This record gives sequence, structure tokens and C-alpha cells, in this order.
Amino acid sequence: MKNYDVVVIGAGSVGVPLSYRLAVRGLSVLVVEKLASIGQGQNKAAIGGIRATHSDRAKIKVGNASLDVIRRLLPEYGQDVDYIEGGYLFPAYSEEIARGLKQLLPLQKSFGLNIDWIDADEVRERCPGILAEGLLGGTFSPEDGHLSSLKLSGAFHRLAMQAGVDFIFNTEVVGFEVDKGKVRAVLTDQGKVSCSCVVNAAGGYGRDVSLMVGSDLPVYPDSHEAGVTEPVKRFFLPMLVDIAPDEQSDNYYFYQNAEGQIVFCITPRPKRMGTDRRSTSEFLPMVIPRMLHLYPRLRNIKVRRVWRGLYPMTPDGKPIVGFDRDVEGFFHAIGMCGQGLMLGPGLADIIALAIAEGKEDEEVFADLSPYRDFSGEELLK
Amino acid sequence: MRITKHPVLDVQEGKQVSFSFDGRTLVGKEGEMVSSALFANGIRTFSIHTVGDAPQGLFCANGQCAQCTVIIDGLPVKSCITPLREGMDVRTLVHHPELPADDALRSSHPPEELSCQVLIVGAGPSGITSAIELADLGFSVILVDDKDHLGGKLVLQTHKFFGSMADCYAGTRGTEIATILETEARNRENITIMTSSTVVGIYADGKAGIYQDRLEKYVHVSFEGLIVATGARERSLLFPGNDLPGVFGAGAFQTLVNRDLVKSSERVLIVGCGNVGLIGAYHALQAGIDVVGLIDIAPAVTGYKVHADKIQRMGVPIYLNHTLVGVQGDGKVEKATIAQVDESWNPLVETAKTFAVDTVLIAVGLSSADEFYASGIEGGFPVLKTGDANEIAEASSAMMGGRIIGREMAKLLGSDVTIPAEWAEKAEILKSHPGEVFSRSYKLQEKGWEPMIHCYQEIPCNPCTTVCPHDSIHLNDRTGTIMDIPEFSGKCVGCGLCVLICPGLAITLARKSKEEGLAELVVPHEFDHDYEPGTKVRLRGVEGADLGEGTVKAVRHNKKHRTSLITLEVPLELATSAVGILVQQEEVIQPLKETDFSYMPDNAVVCRCERVTVGEIKEFVRENDVTDINQLKLSRLAMGACGGKTCLDLVPRVLMQAGVDRGNIHPATHRPLTVEVPMKALANQGGGQK
Repeated sequence: MKNYDVVVIGAGSVGVPLSYRLAVRGLSVLVVEKLASIGQGQNKAAIGGIRATHSDRAKIKVGNASLDVIRRLLPEYGQDVDYIEGGYLFPAYSEEIARGLKQLLPLQKSFGLNIDWIDADEVRERCPGILAEGLLGGTFSPEDGHLSSLKLSGAFHRLAMQAGVDFIFNTEVVGFEVDKGKVRAVLTDQGKVSCSCVVNAAGGYGRDVSLMVGSDLPVYPDSHEAGVTEPVKRFFLPMLVDIAPDEQSDNYYFYQNAEGQIVFCITPRPKRMGTDRRSTSEFLPMVIPRMLHLYPRLRNIKVRRVWRGLYPMTPDGKPIVGFDRDVEGFFHAIGMCGQGLMLGPGLADIIALAIAEGKEDEEVFADLSPYRDFSGEELLK
Repeated sequence: MRITKHPVLDVQEGKQVSFSFDGRTLVGKEGEMVSSALFANGIRTFSIHTVGDAPQGLFCANGQCAQCTVIIDGLPVKSCITPLREGMDVRTLVHHPELPADDALRSSHPPEELSCQVLIVGAGPSGITSAIELADLGFSVILVDDKDHLGGKLVLQTHKFFGSMADCYAGTRGTEIATILETEARNRENITIMTSSTVVGIYADGKAGIYQDRLEKYVHVSFEGLIVATGARERSLLFPGNDLPGVFGAGAFQTLVNRDLVKSSERVLIVGCGNVGLIGAYHALQAGIDVVGLIDIAPAVTGYKVHADKIQRMGVPIYLNHTLVGVQGDGKVEKATIAQVDESWNPLVETAKTFAVDTVLIAVGLSSADEFYASGIEGGFPVLKTGDANEIAEASSAMMGGRIIGREMAKLLGSDVTIPAEWAEKAEILKSHPGEVFSRSYKLQEKGWEPMIHCYQEIPCNPCTTVCPHDSIHLNDRTGTIMDIPEFSGKCVGCGLCVLICPGLAITLARKSKEEGLAELVVPHEFDHDYEPGTKVRLRGVEGADLGEGTVKAVRHNKKHRTSLITLEVPLELATSAVGILVQQEEVIQPLKETDFSYMPDNAVVCRCERVTVGEIKEFVRENDVTDINQLKLSRLAMGACGGKTCLDLVPRVLMQAGVDRGNIHPATHRPLTVEVPMKALANQGGGQK
């Protein structure tokens, strides 16, 4: 195989847009993927929410960068990814939840986020039929949205191919050739690829890949199950996030996609650690009653398909982004905590700039450093 | 348009109810499927697709696809599995449905948790026989089926069975075998039967999720072992117009015609000359439906010769080396064009013939529905598959195979049982493909009756040898199995039992008349008729050649076999060659004077749910580097209600046409749920019917 400037490991939410940005910056790029095509790992498992509404500055910045790219995909690049700017809506049915959401607002606004408290009537107007009883209102961020994860990776794949990126599939990375502290080649089960830079964008398997250069980074996947319904005529636009926990689960969220289907997901408690992606019997009885309590009219919609995807978690809920300090030319872009889809497009240019021109965005690279103190906790999960 | 008289099926009167369709008041039978009630009222368009406003009609009639979705009382439901009730408000589904503002809060309930040692999915011939076997060994069994009765596809099979009488009820009609098996299963206390219950997922934690549509319930079943007896799906075919209402599977046709006694069509063309297509033609004729012909791209009939012979005798032509160029019509099937193919299977347009038909039946084979087997393997459970889910074969072999798999499962779960070696041998023979064809000629003896056995191809079948009261019919012992061909030697009293029992209608009785130059010929007849003595009929040779005229002398109807024996007076020289009489008039099979030569294969629909065409897939492949079928989901292929049940079987061929190397094609991922389930059922909010 030929020599590349950069080899990206993983053709997923992070790797595919990144490969495109690197190629646009004039680098020769190869993407190596273990599975048979793009987006077949966690990318296609992502339900499609895209937001900048986080609670820390790096993720907000990256999230905004993502939204900026996504908004331009159709008008400037001719790529339709079913993006709908429907906003994120966090309804509150208890004083405690309302208080918690309201407390975040000053911080979120300080980062320039367009988010505010809306009253119960406005929540009901935006989501006709949502449970009225006990509804106190909620926070709403109109500039967030949702899209098709399949179409997003497909769009960047086409752009990357047009920009000259090479892809190889069904190829597993087994190690690296490191000489005098510098990465020289990627070793795969299909042979060796020489390169001067490697980006680990291996998602759920990111820790395993970093371990191959002796870097033990705290990325441990847990898994969430998700589902999609039949399509119906549009009746609401926002991503609805109910953060009130019940006995078996924490938050759950759902939205109506461009096809008219409801896409939904839940965070089970306790967390299900590991990389098992087989569907379980627990998911539907866990999530459906909660959805029907919040939105009774969903009772008549039919569930079409279920699946399970990995959330490659870090201890503080923030991604790990940055060069390895011991192996020159090895870049970590892992631990997306289930947000690779919404962070990937924004991270792509930030990382490409660092690799191609050595320019690191200070805030992002400081906050997401592989060598940061991981003891902090995310406020808005 | 109902079948009011049927030669082998009882026509049940049923209670009439009135319902409305798009505001028009119509009448149907209470409890019949809404789709059948609509067909009976001449309605064949059920919905309008969002893509291209294309009209959609019934396709599988088996609850598997969602082509038959209509709006009933405000909600989209599959009409083929929804029983008709008085006062139903049925409407055409136009684009996506609107979710009703049904905003009252109701309480949800967790699924009921059941358990068993062995869960058997599918109560067709193989599922029931494995359940019986396991129950007799003391295992607790839950037998689940998505239909409201047991027997699987046996209930659609009105013809007499092939196979051996001792092992699989050969000579008995499928409908009757279903009843026998159901009774046996219900007589065993350790078999719990769940009907109208669809397994929608086999989950990693050792549970099956089961949707009970009538009860609007969702239950879990834990199991130690899993037997997948889910049968098969009909393969589809790519041709322009393949999604028009009026193109449907042979299974759907059997369901409408044989189960629901609805005259689904006036005139059909059948694609595929395997047993399913051949039997489909026979069932059509019995239901009073014209058959313009059967076509197959193969150079030979793949089904049993006796089946092909009998329908040709009845006046249905078989076009081999032919393909379906396209189906035309304004929102429904009106015409179908066929043409002969060259060596590379391209149609020779100059050979095209266009027929006026309202229905095209697709009978191009089956593919195993074995996704739950894959789920079982993935889950690491003891799992076995049987019947068509394991290997496509006749129901006779499925019954034998089911017994074996029942015992295999007992062994997997630690039971010390043996499986008789001859069971496996029998199962092998019963699923044999038709073997060699031999020729044979008869010479009529001077006195007395003699059976003329026009059975020339080795097939697994022996009922004629077991019914003869004088034990005068024996297999010729060429292979020493029931594949061998029957031969007569010995005494014949002319009782006609061999004529009545032969599933191929391939046996006649003949004797010389007292009058010089004439003979008496007894032929089987499974049609309604009013032949008075003296009626002239056209005599047909074994493969359908017209031989001349015969005169009806007498008709005896055998109630048990639901078959008539027609005694004919025929010229002596035809007594050994005439095998049956013409049933369908010859003008039926004439093509139209004007032939439609257009050939636009890229317009064929691959994914019916999302209406993705061959042309669109080819374009997608050109724009994206595609080898993984999962990538095609971007075009929405396989993203619809059915989950790729039909299209995923067709896609590899399209990819190859688009230049993708077959060896590089990566298959699509399957995910639960098998069928769509309303959230109210998943949450057990109640409201189902008792």
C-alpha cells in the first residue's frame, strides 16, 4: 500500500468528516475501517440529535462548529442530510427539574447559546398533545436540531472521496510501527501502511487502539438501546428530552425525523458497560411506558426497529482530543461519550487545522486534552 | 366477486356485515380479513405511496409486508391480518397517516413473563410435529404462531399430498392434514399454543418478545431451547410494473382463493414453473379463474411433471425460456408482456406476446425465513431450525424433518433419546427433487379394467401402491425408495381407488368396450361440472396434446376424496393415451393483437416499502463506492415497514448488474422487530378484543 500523510482509523462519525477536512487542507489521507463500509459502527446507531447546548465551553464550541458545518451542507455542498432545526426541548414536570434546568441557563447563555425557559403553553404549542398535567414549562434551544446519521456519514464520505481520500474496509489495525518516538506506519491485518500521522477515531474501540502505542486512556463504552417507528404526518419538531429519572432509567429522548418517524433512546440504570450490541428484552418495556406517559398519543404509533449502540464514555463526559505526548504524530480523537455524531463535523476542522498547520484551538485542546484531570462531572448530560 | 361453488372446498355462508370504504357502504363476511372483503368488493388499491403517488395493493397477504395497509377507524393497519367487523370505517391510506389526538393518559403494564423448556416459533407442519415429539418426551413446549389457526401453509393447500401415506398423510389434502395435526397438538397438555402471536424479537437475554395483535398485548417467553419453524418467504422478481396492484405472490393468491374463497382475479399470468406456480394454476382453474399461461426463464419445468402435465391437459400453456418483460396498466395490472430469452437471459423483443390479464402471480421460489435462527446463534442458545426455515422442500418432508428436530432438541437439552436412522433417510427422500423421466407405453388387454399409470418421473410419492385392494400396484424398485415409479401387475376390479387418490391425477382406468373400436376410459376430475351423459368433451394426451373427442357416459362423485370419476367413451386407440379432458376454453390463452414492446428494466421496484427502483440503486452505486448492502439504506432501501424481507433477496443481483463483484458484497444487518408493533401493545395498555 502507498504512503500517506495521515491514516485515520475508523470510518465513523469522527473519522469520515475529519478525513475530508484533512484532504481539503492538502494532505493525502487513508481511512482504515474494520467494518464493511462507512458508519457501520456507532454512527448509524446514533439517533440523530445535533446540539450545541452542552454545559462546558469546549463542547459548546465544537457543537456550534458542527451546527455551522451542517447548516451549510445542503446550500453549499449540495448534501441533504435531512437536517431539521427543530430545537431541543427539556420539559419539566417537577420543581426540582425546573430549578435544575433554570440554574444551567446563565452558564449556557454566557457561552452565547440561544436557550431560554418557555412556559407550559409554549411547550404544548411546540409539542401538541404532550402531557399537560403538571407541566411547568421547559428550556428550549431553537438552534439545535436533528438529522439522519446515515446521511451525514454518507455526505462526508462522498465529499471525502471527491477530495481524494482513500478508504479501505474490512481491515483491522493490529499495531503501529514507531521509530525514535515517531509513528511511521500502521500495521493492519491486510498489510502495512506508511504514514507520518495517525488519527485514532476508532470510537467504541478507541481505547484498544491507543493502547497499541502504550497510551492507556480512560474510555469505557456503555451501551444504550434505541428504536424507530413507522412514519406519520409531522406533529412536532423539537428533540424532546425528559431528564427526570425513574426506577430503571435516567433520561430518555425522542424526536420526529424528516421521514416522519419517531426515533427514541433511553439511558438505562445501572449503566450497561461493555461492547455488547445485541438487543435485549428490557428496552421496549423500559422506554415505551415512559414515552406514553409524556406523550399519550404515541400509543397508536407502531415501533418498527430497535438497535443498540455504544457510548464510549470518559470519566468527565468530555471527549479526548489531542496528540499523544510520547509518540509523535499519533493523535487521539476518542471518547465521544455517545456524541460523536454531533461533535464530529465540528471537531473535523479543529483537528485538521492542528494536524495540517500545527494550530491548536487553545480552549478545545486544553479542555479535551488526553492528559487532563478527569475528575470533573458534566452538568447537562 | 366471491367463489360461491368450489369443487373441493366447502363454501361457508358466514354472517354478513356492512362496512364502509372511503365513505361507500359495502358488505363483507364477519371475521374475514379486511383485505379479502375489499377484494370481494372489487377493491384492489389500498394506499397511495408518498413516492410518486403510486397506488399500492395487496402483496404477501401474510402479515409480513405492509403493502395492504389501510386506515381503519382512524388508524393505519394491515388489512390482511385484520378481521372485518360490523361498521368498520375503512379508508385508503394516502401518504403517511395522521396520528390521532388520542391524548388521554392510560396506565401501562409490564409484559407478562412466561417460560417453557422449548419455544417453537411457527406452527406449520414442521413446528407442530416437533412440538408433538418434544411433548411426548416430557418437555414443556410453547408453540407460537402469528395466524389464528395452526397448520401454517397447509391450510391453503387444497390439493392432495404427495409423499408416503405412512409418514406424511400422502393422498390427503393439506387442509385436512392441518386439522389432524392441530388436534394432535391440542391433545397434549404440555404444549401451550399461542395463536395470533407474532415473535418480534429473540433477545440476547434469552427471551422472546411476542406481540399478540388481537389482544393488543406484548409478552415475554423465556426458554431453554429454541426451534425456528418460521417457514419461508416468497421470492420476488424485478420487472417494470412489479409494484402495480394486481401483482402478488402465489401465497397471497392461495390465501384469497383457497382460504377466503374470494375470486381475486378474472385472468392471471403465472411466473414460475415450480410446484407452487403449477399448483397455483390448478387452484385458479378450480376457482373459475382463467390462466393465460405459465412462464419460466428456465428451459425446463422445475416442479413435478405430473403437475405440469395435468394443467397442460386442462388447457394452460407453459412457456419455457420466457421472461416477463413488463406489466402495464393505469394504476392496476391490465396487460402483461412476455418474451423468449437468449442465452444470456435477455428478452428477444421480437418474440414478445402481450396478454390482457388483471393479475400476475409471482411464484419464483421461496427463501428460508431464518432470522431467528441467526438471533439464536448470536444469543448462544440451543437453537435448531426445521421445515422451510431450514431448507425449502415439500410439506411432507417438513413433517418428517420436524419430528427429527424435536428429538434433536431433546438431545441438546440433555435427554437420552435416539433418532431412528430411517427417519433421516425418509426425510431426505421426501425432499428429493424430481428425478429421471422414463417413457412407457400401454397396450389394452382384451377384457376387464386396467389402470393406465401416466406417472413417468421419479418423485417421492406412493399412495396408489397402498390403496389398491388387490395389492396390484408396486413401485418398480429401481432405487428401492418411494422415488420409484409405480407399475401395475395383477388383478384390477376397476374400483377406481388409485384414480381417486393420485395427487397428480395421472391414473386412468381403461377397458375395451363391447362395441368394436371403442373403449371405456375413467378419468379423475376435480372441477365443478354438469356433464350429462352424452356430453362431448375434448380428450387430452398426457402433456396436453389434443387427441379428439370423447363422450361422457357416467359421472360418479366420491365425497371422501372430493373427486369425480368420469367414465368416457373414447376411440379404442385413445384409451391408452388420453389422460384427461380440456377444462379451459382455448380462446382464453390467446395473446392480444397489439404487443407492447417497451422494455425498461430500470423501472422495476426493488424495495416495495420505500419504492426504491433498480435505476436508483444503480445510480447510487455509481455515486458512492458500494459493496456493503447496508450502505443502500441511505437510499432508504430496506428501511421500510417490512425490514427488507423482499428486497434484500433481490439486491445482490442489482449490485452485480451495477458492476459490483459478487464476492465483495457484504450482506445487510437484520434487526428486530420482525413486524411493527403499536406502542400501546408494547405497554400493555389494554383495549384488545377477547
